[in-house]
Amino acid sequence: MGIRRRSGGFVLSVNPILCDGFGHCAELAPDLVHLDEWGYPIITTIPVPLSNLAALESARYAVRGCPRQALRIDRISDPS
Amino acid sequence: MIALTSPYLWYTTRATGMVAMVLFTIVVALGTLVANRIGGTIIGRFEINELHRSMSIVAIVFLAIHIATTVLDSYVPTGVISIFVPMTSIYKRVPVGVGAVALDLILAVWISSLLKVRIANTTWRFIHWFSWLGFATSIVHAFLTGTDSRKSWGLVLVVACSSVVFVAALWRYLGRPARAAGRTALSPLAAPPAPPSGGRTTATRLGSVPPPPPAAPRPSTGPFPRGPQRPSNKKGRR
Repeated sequence: MGIRRRSGGFVLSVNPILCDGFGHCAELAPDLVHLDEWGYPIITTIPVPLSNLAALESARYAVRGCPRQALRIDRISDPS
Repeated sequence: MIALTSPYLWYTTRATGMVAMVLFTIVVALGTLVANRIGGTIIGRFEINELHRSMSIVAIVFLAIHIATTVLDSYVPTGVISIFVPMTSIYKRVPVGVGAVALDLILAVWISSLLKVRIANTTWRFIHWFSWLGFATSIVHAFLTGTDSRKSWGLVLVVACSSVVFVAALWRYLGRPARAAGRTALSPLAAPPAPPSGGRTTATRLGSVPPPPPAAPRPSTGPFPRGPQRPSNKKGRR
């Protein structure tokens, strides 16, 4: 698991057209997503390092759990 | 063909059919809860969704046993073809045919859900609407075919399951959720701590990422900076 070195980061991104505001992502990835007052997600745009396995796993759960398949994980390569 | 006329195959068919009916009732009810945005306080919405998905697998296993034992049992002449193609069964042509229609619909819903990441979500939703029809036909199949569903307890079970799903369908139709559902209580900002001043919370739950320093005051409206949604290397793709 942690043996492979991971560099770079990821950003969870939402397709706002598909999103219907079910709010599952905010429950599954509470560190990355919070909901605005209408129930739609506001996702942090700061790239999370891929070494943060807990955040990556929660993001994967959010992608899998979205009832509208509106979430996606974008990999950001290391700027170095 | 020695053990294949064993009455236990027939008993298994009857029992798993009843159990599958109850399980599919639960699955449909849970799916209605998900679609109507129930949950978020006592139980998470995602938990209801996961329960819906897991229970559907269990229900399909029972359905598979129900069908396999029916085919294996050589006492009632139903063939492999009549599982899928309606009106080809020698035994109870119409009732088994209704069951074949139900199986086809359930298979369509199941396979489209397995392929959910590969097909368009609107396609998946369109196919998923047919789960209502699949349930209705399987209830008709249970009532027409079932050895037990004319008896007292079996009839009670069939009526109970169909009325649960009928209420669910009514609720789904009438109680359409507003597009804006509001925060779930499990959302990290659902019950914000009393903001120190103004109306904005400054709590960030970004894990180890510290909040940006307030050196450059920007007109953002929240703790999360509203930059461009993602880096522009994929501009032009939707």
